[in-house]
Amino acid sequence: MQQFRQIYDRFLEVIAVFLMTLVTVIVTLGFMFRWAGSSLVWYDEIASIALAWLTYFGAALAALRGSHLGFAGFVNSLPAQWRVAATITASGINIAFFGLLALMGAKVMQAIAGLTLVSLPWLDQLWVTAVIPVASVLFIISELLRLPAIIEEARRGPLMDAELKEALGGHADEVAAAARAEAFRERTP
Amino acid sequence: MIGTIPTMIVALGALVALNVPIAIALGVIAVVAIWVTQGAYMLPNLALVMFEGATSFPLLAIPMFILAGAIMNSSSITQRLMDLAVAMVGFIRGGLAHVNIVQSMFFAEISGSAVADVAATGPIIMPAMIKRGYSREFTAAVTSSSASLAIIIPPSIPMILYGVIGNVSIVQLFVAGIIPGILGGLGMMAISYYLARKLGWPVEDRFRLDRLWETFKASSWALLLPVIILGGIFGGFVTATEGAALAVLAALFVGGVIHRDLDLAHLYRSAVDGAIQTAVVMLLIATSALLGVYLTEQQIPQRIAEGMMSITSNPYAILAILNVFLLILGLFLHSAAAIILVVPIVLPLVIAAGIDPVHFGIIVTLNLAIGQQTPPVASVLIATCAIAKADIWEVTKVNTWFIGVLLAVLLLVTYVPPVSMGLVDYFYR
Repeated sequence: MQQFRQIYDRFLEVIAVFLMTLVTVIVTLGFMFRWAGSSLVWYDEIASIALAWLTYFGAALAALRGSHLGFAGFVNSLPAQWRVAATITASGINIAFFGLLALMGAKVMQAIAGLTLVSLPWLDQLWVTAVIPVASVLFIISELLRLPAIIEEARRGPLMDAELKEALGGHADEVAAAARAEAFRERTP
Repeated sequence: MIGTIPTMIVALGALVALNVPIAIALGVIAVVAIWVTQGAYMLPNLALVMFEGATSFPLLAIPMFILAGAIMNSSSITQRLMDLAVAMVGFIRGGLAHVNIVQSMFFAEISGSAVADVAATGPIIMPAMIKRGYSREFTAAVTSSSASLAIIIPPSIPMILYGVIGNVSIVQLFVAGIIPGILGGLGMMAISYYLARKLGWPVEDRFRLDRLWETFKASSWALLLPVIILGGIFGGFVTATEGAALAVLAALFVGGVIHRDLDLAHLYRSAVDGAIQTAVVMLLIATSALLGVYLTEQQIPQRIAEGMMSITSNPYAILAILNVFLLILGLFLHSAAAIILVVPIVLPLVIAAGIDPVHFGIIVTLNLAIGQQTPPVASVLIATCAIAKADIWEVTKVNTWFIGVLLAVLLLVTYVPPVSMGLVDYFYR
């Protein structure tokens, strides 16, 4: 399971970096061509679509790493068994929301099949909006893969705030260990 | 229908208290509200609105400014700017504190993210300050507070968010942030000087013109970055989004071709972090677009504006109320979440009261800069304390000096509009 999680993390990571690079290249090409006097008609539409793809694939990666912004303060003030219950409930809500989004995304895909982009008439909108159901399923997989670890974290001590994790980057694990040690000291007479 | 607002706020609070990510909590509330008021047949719109919500062209600037900061950190650009700051202000009493502030102001002109500033400069300057006898708490406080200048001095990611959500000119917001950002930096330097004299902190070196020239030459390419980026945006040659792409390109050129010291492994890791940060903010925007559909349908912001205007229509009183509200919100919310939640709801009130939305944008940004420094939710302060290995509450005691500076700038900007709007009026109106 751990190995699958690592491979999955790497898979999402590579897609996210590719999309980040793609967005930058498209916008850069866009203004270079505009300066050269021959604007690319498709560049703002395609760049915006690439941003939506980056958003949803990146959101699945952020879910796997627990980076979405939340507030863990209240849950952390609860006893261990309630922390675990709250964590499972929150995860269930996340999965239900993205499950609904995946279903609705699939419905929309069927409805708009055959419509094309304005700037690239050969590109079916079906492929463009496919990101919603596809990335929603990836989000759910991320949430399920993270669940055992987050339950264990909730059982052992306070959960680290997602915002703090984002802010700390490489220092996150070190601080989580210190917080757990602190919580342990508080509980030990 | 306005009675549904308290229910929605309570439900949102309950979901957030359960540690459901704010983005998803917003989405859940919106889905339930749409389902209850308009019926299940409207739900397929959920997917379309969330897709459209993430396709805003101006928001493309966010990942690219994050990437530009990451590239700077992956090469020697940051170190060169720090050397220049030492040569410029190291001779003043409390030299390294001034270096810290000036360095943050340089970084702010390219990046636009306060956390990126702490990550870039914190691990270098903080150990140096502690070694020179500055207290750990003061070191963390000055690093944290000066890093928040990054969101006031252009370019600024919160300003881009505000501009897109409020349909306000991002370029004018950038211009309006220049003077408040510089005032904040000078105020922090004045406080550092006062404390340095009181506590006998050292100067680094006497001022030497030859050293200043040397470090200026070594960092001249790095200094060209803000000139190109901000010059391009302010001069109308490129949009804010294109300016962000230019920032990436220029940082890659300077780091990879001129200095030839780009650390590719570090750059890859930074790009991953940047992609995650972008996705986190953009998902919030996408789900808030969903909530926006409901709020607009029910005309709730307009009703709140009417209700508020019936109590007072004095713009200064409204600004005072909004300042208190934003400061309290900043204690508990990340800046991006605060902007996304609050701006669509209060902007109709701001406009109805005759307050310039650009002026209000700078007020919001300053409030959020303070919010980054006030625990319990204070991303920049907490990141700084973790790197400095300092206690958050002990640092906060010292940090009240710098929070005081930011508050003074906030009051000045709020009640003396030309401080932020002077340059905007001169160049654009």
